[in-house]
Amino acid sequence: MRQAIVRGDPSTYPDWFDGKRRQRPLIVARWVPIAMVGLPVAVLFAIVVYPTIWMFYHSLRDTNITGLFTGNHAYIGFANYGTVFSSDRFQDSLVHLLQYLSFGAVLQVILGCVLALTLYEVVKSNLWRTIILILLVLPMMLPPSIVGVLWRFLLTPSNGAVNQALLDLGLIASHIEWFNAGVSLWSIIIADVWNWTALPLLIIYSGRVSLPPAVYEAARVDGASQWKVVRRITLPMLKEVIAIAFILRFTDAFKFVDLVYVMTSGGPAQTSELPTYIAFQRGIREFAIGEAAAYAIIIFAISAILVTLFLQYMKRVMRAQGLA
Amino acid sequence: MADQARPDDRWRHVRVLFLAFLGLWLLFTLFPLYFMIITALKTTAETNLTVPTFWPELFAFGNFAAVFAEATNFDALIDSFVIATINTLLSLFLGTLAGYAFARFPRQAGGENLAFWILSNRMFPPVAILVPMFFLFDSTPWGTDSIWSLIILYLVFNLPLATWLMMVFFRDAPRELEEAAYLDGWTPLRAFLRITLPLVLPGMISVAMLCWIFAWNEYLFANLFVGTDVRTYTIVIPTFTHGSQTLWNLQMAFSLIAMIPPVTLFILLRRYMVRGLSLGVVKG
Repeated sequence: MRQAIVRGDPSTYPDWFDGKRRQRPLIVARWVPIAMVGLPVAVLFAIVVYPTIWMFYHSLRDTNITGLFTGNHAYIGFANYGTVFSSDRFQDSLVHLLQYLSFGAVLQVILGCVLALTLYEVVKSNLWRTIILILLVLPMMLPPSIVGVLWRFLLTPSNGAVNQALLDLGLIASHIEWFNAGVSLWSIIIADVWNWTALPLLIIYSGRVSLPPAVYEAARVDGASQWKVVRRITLPMLKEVIAIAFILRFTDAFKFVDLVYVMTSGGPAQTSELPTYIAFQRGIREFAIGEAAAYAIIIFAISAILVTLFLQYMKRVMRAQGLA
Repeated sequence: MADQARPDDRWRHVRVLFLAFLGLWLLFTLFPLYFMIITALKTTAETNLTVPTFWPELFAFGNFAAVFAEATNFDALIDSFVIATINTLLSLFLGTLAGYAFARFPRQAGGENLAFWILSNRMFPPVAILVPMFFLFDSTPWGTDSIWSLIILYLVFNLPLATWLMMVFFRDAPRELEEAAYLDGWTPLRAFLRITLPLVLPGMISVAMLCWIFAWNEYLFANLFVGTDVRTYTIVIPTFTHGSQTLWNLQMAFSLIAMIPPVTLFILLRRYMVRGLSLGVVKG
């Protein structure tokens, strides 16, 4: 029997009609959700927002370490920012950052995508897929200090394993000086690619696994070649997943600094420094608080723009999936 | 039919190429790990040969015992464990509360934008917070060199993660069961503890493991904040030297021991890990 529907009464509209869920009555006291969310927000204010404001304040002042403890520092406008922008050290580090991001983040996502789809399309046995996946993901479980130490060891110029292996294979004629100026940043990038390519790989592989098989049945019935299926069906359907993998990798790469510490300490002669590394060095080791603060605020501002754009995109993806 | 066979043939060549690439990548991934294991089994003299060996001449299984001969190494693992565990419990507790509020009372809890703001804290470079937090902890009576400074600092990346993921998991849990319980006269707290929490338990465990691994593996904060009274294993590993000589074999042996927990957790929980690592977007 059909239920009579009274048109025009919004309360009888089904849930999906206006796209918004009806507001359900609150079952708990009003302060309960506020308190539940308030705790973490308060913690994050204390450990993230307050320090950021502190940094912004000191980026406008000529604070050094003694000045900080005696309270003896004066307002100098944007002079610290001027110092940072005009210093060669900062400009060089931006070039390094660009080099690192294009090979550390972009290349990793491309490689991860190729490897994930290869693993899914070419390896047919489920057991082998799982084994290979676990093996490929192992480096990701290592802390940066082990990765750094391991690669510093492997790339030791005089008696390192990589040089020896390349010599044995006849690929190089003499030892490569992995930690010389101009090469050391590449060494860091190699270690980083080894460490983190598994993240986009894992995400894209899982995205591929959860695509609906019905689409592929249809494509097979239509006689499409496997190559065409990958290009015309899989990649477009995985667009969002690949984008998310890229976002995650990129934000991580943007704050990346650990391997610089462990492998090269920014050297030799500051040729492998990234902006974040300089900010730490100036602040904690060289005690130029004001200048370090300017570095930090510049980095913070850039990443604030990027993170906002990324989250906007993520919100759209999650909405489409009905998650948000 | 003959027409259809041709593209498949072409695909077969491409397939071999891709398979070869996968094999090469597997080699690239595994070679460092392999070399790590055999180095951990070499004698100190053998690690310093001018031409490195790719198979130990002499197996020195004593290296693993030698790592723990120094009490500080064992203490470092304990410190890391304590810090990671307390931080995980704290993140999980706060994250579960906030995640539940975001999932069930979105409007009253501040809405989607607040949830995204919390998540964004994880994505910012920690550079802006490190220096002020250093001087803040320095001015407290226990100084920067205590487990508490790291436990609190690791909340910067683990609390947003836990909150966000718990929100995603609570959204997946059907609301109708709770509503049925309310009709039976259950209090919201009881319904939460007895119905919803068991439903999200697998998710919660994966969040806990993920947070734990991130805290266990953290290097940067530990490197700058602690080092004398408290030493996490991540900052101990780069300092394995004897005089001017680096003890590679002991370093690698210690690294292998420290790798066991995260690798085991990953193998056991890989299905849930993907959900967590992709911030809930990809269902593993």
